[in-house]
Amino acid sequence: MTSIRPTLRALHAASTATRPACRHYLPQRSPITRNHSTSSVSADELSHFSALASSWWDPMGPSRILHLMNPLRHEFIASCLADSPPPTTTNSSNAANLHYMDIGCGGGIFAESLARTIPLDPSAPAPTATRAASMTAIDPSTMLIQVAREHARMDPTVDAHLRSGKFKYLNTTLEDVLASTTPSPSPSSKASESTPSTGAISHPQFDMVTLFEVIEHIDPTTTTPQAFLSNCLRALKPGGWLIGSTISRTFPSFLLNQVIAEAPWPIGVVPRGTHEWSKFVNPPELHAWAQEGLMRAADSAATRGGPSALEGMKWKCMGTIYVPGLGWKMVPGSESWGNYFWAVKKGV
Amino acid sequence: MRPISRAALRSYVCPSCRHGIGAGRRRFGTKTDQTPDIYDVVCVGGGPAGLGLLAALRASPVTSKLKVALIESQDLNKARAWNMDSAQFSNRVSSLTPSSKEFLQKIGAWEHLDTQRVQDYQEMQVWDGESGSRISFDWSMDTPAFEDMRTVATMTENANLVRGLLGRIAASGDENLKLFSNTTVAGIENGTDLQTEGPDLSAWPVLSIKPTGAMAETQPSSRIAARLLVGADGINSPVRSFADITTHGWDYNRHGIVATLSLADPITPPFPAYIRTAYQRFLPALGGPIALLPLPNNNATLVWSTTPENAAHLKSLPTPAFLAMVNAAFRLSMTDLSYMMGMTQSSSEPTSHEDELSWRIQHTPLPAQIPPMATGVQTGTVASFPLRFRHAAQYISPRVALVGDAAHVIHPLAGQGLNLGLADVAALSRTIEYAVSHGMDIGDLLTLERYSSERYLPNAKIGGACDLLHKMYNIPGQGPVTWARSLGLDVIDKLPFVKSFLMKNAEGY
Repeated sequence: MTSIRPTLRALHAASTATRPACRHYLPQRSPITRNHSTSSVSADELSHFSALASSWWDPMGPSRILHLMNPLRHEFIASCLADSPPPTTTNSSNAANLHYMDIGCGGGIFAESLARTIPLDPSAPAPTATRAASMTAIDPSTMLIQVAREHARMDPTVDAHLRSGKFKYLNTTLEDVLASTTPSPSPSSKASESTPSTGAISHPQFDMVTLFEVIEHIDPTTTTPQAFLSNCLRALKPGGWLIGSTISRTFPSFLLNQVIAEAPWPIGVVPRGTHEWSKFVNPPELHAWAQEGLMRAADSAATRGGPSALEGMKWKCMGTIYVPGLGWKMVPGSESWGNYFWAVKKGV
Repeated sequence: MRPISRAALRSYVCPSCRHGIGAGRRRFGTKTDQTPDIYDVVCVGGGPAGLGLLAALRASPVTSKLKVALIESQDLNKARAWNMDSAQFSNRVSSLTPSSKEFLQKIGAWEHLDTQRVQDYQEMQVWDGESGSRISFDWSMDTPAFEDMRTVATMTENANLVRGLLGRIAASGDENLKLFSNTTVAGIENGTDLQTEGPDLSAWPVLSIKPTGAMAETQPSSRIAARLLVGADGINSPVRSFADITTHGWDYNRHGIVATLSLADPITPPFPAYIRTAYQRFLPALGGPIALLPLPNNNATLVWSTTPENAAHLKSLPTPAFLAMVNAAFRLSMTDLSYMMGMTQSSSEPTSHEDELSWRIQHTPLPAQIPPMATGVQTGTVASFPLRFRHAAQYISPRVALVGDAAHVIHPLAGQGLNLGLADVAALSRTIEYAVSHGMDIGDLLTLERYSSERYLPNAKIGGACDLLHKMYNIPGQGPVTWARSLGLDVIDKLPFVKSFLMKNAEGY
């Protein structure tokens, strides 16, 4: 039994497999990033993930373990909605009326799978418990967005949603999304913790914001996970859920991810040096950041959000373990062993 | 695996490389202007497996909204209108294990079967014609006193099952459902990228379908695209050829003779009275086992696996001689039986086979478990079919899944063929259900591998066990193999837990 950090493991294997011809094609300078004014994503991480592009959707490729985890994301979201659904205008409990944003969608593994559950007829009952009405997926990597769009075209249902605009892939950053939806453009477009963007709370758009395997890839030189989480919560309507997954930084996870998973062949399944254990996040840290983030998200130009921003907040956490041969299993209480899902509900 | 121009496996090719790949491809073929109808599941083959899959998908609330189609070259209306006198039985009969029956009940198909025509049996007697070693299967060791004995298996005519499944599908309404009856698949190819007008279907199977018979000239062929193409199209599966999946196996050089028989009343009535028994005797000298499986009202269906020469000879015999051979096969020694198989029917002595049997039976010690005498053959039911073993190298390929005989054909000595097919269908419908509820693409390999990993080994295990039994019981004489297999049978018969384990395996639990 081992818990593996999927993304980085995948990344390492793929970066060596990228064909020279493909690499050659990339522009010389600033290969994949758009020149965003701000970004919470490090250039290093960006180039690593773009190297994954060619094999992102290969079911036997380096991203396989991530593909295998995807159904559990749906189950975790469904369990959050079952606990406490966001308040919606229509009172029906199975209407497809939730608007999703997927931050750091990569090649679109989660975003596409969720878009597939959007009913073609908006008045039809939701086919799944995730009740999606729309999906906006963003990623700073031009190449991955292109991969995601091309793959989405291979499914007529998803293609129809792309054409109707119910499903959008945007090559942008969270900061830019927030800036574009802020009605009074702030003088500084920097939406980091040092300059809380004015009036950002006035136009939150999304009922559900997802953040799968992203928080551990935040660039520590330009922002902090805390500031990034605050921005995610700003995008969320009151009563909405922010849902993500990451890996905890504990002794068992060190043992599993660094010692066992990276052991020499045939024990190890991950190349040595893949994991950056120090960037992992523990559930209590995340919980505290989320509380702080809710208060910051409630800040406006005139007043600062206090503990009242935490009223109605909910916190959920569920460990998940990869068992070779059996796949991913949710194991309550295993949060500190490695991979886990977490969720924060913004109070109404 | 079939070639896919823009591979489903590696969907992303960087722009510089793609330029080279796209150049050689025809963009504006004659067929590209016709956009195919898009279905979620297209099932080729309207036998019990294909119809079972459709009925299962229609029965589940999760998958009932999927747009499904079924293509069958025979007339499904005939199958729907199938009717037979209550005293007559079709010769195509299958034994359903309790888990198959449970599946049919779960999808609501069982209530559409004519249950007057099905027959449970609670006991099975199997013995070695060479050594007389015997094993009996029943659930008595697992059944508490004063409770009814559990069923070992249920006999049902395939036509009854097919009609029931069609009834179940019809009861689900016709929304999102299309049954292409009397229709053949003229060709399957990969679709095309519709560029700006629509989705990229270049990795999707697109079928050209054509009506058969009288309508063939008047109606043009139409094209349908499948998110998931299911091959339930039998041993020579066109879907399997399209997917470029190899299959390996061998012919047994044996034929199975089937017939519907009526039996005499048993000499000692069964106790409790509802108990019915299936009989199987291995005949190493004649190339395979003979089995007699109960049907309602003291009828039974015969399955006799033997060499093609013996099969041809038996089929050529007049009814009384044929019955004498069947009765002899359950009673006489291998030597007597081989002698009788060599007897030719002469018009001067029309009762020679019966006389021979009644004379030899007086000098043969009969075991307790033999079936009642067969007294009649329903006219027109004696038929034979070749026995084969096949196993596909894979059950899945991008947007393709194989079920039933398209994936595996096994020796019928354990009556498991149809049950494996229904178990495939149950697993595939569960897989599709899981995929739909988790936003997965039902044609994606990541989805389909759940089905294949659930079914490949169990099918290989049962198919291999039947093959092994066939080979072990084809060694005549009193050699070491006969000794060993007889010892094995006797030991298993005396160890209830081993027997119980084997039965649970055969039952599909």
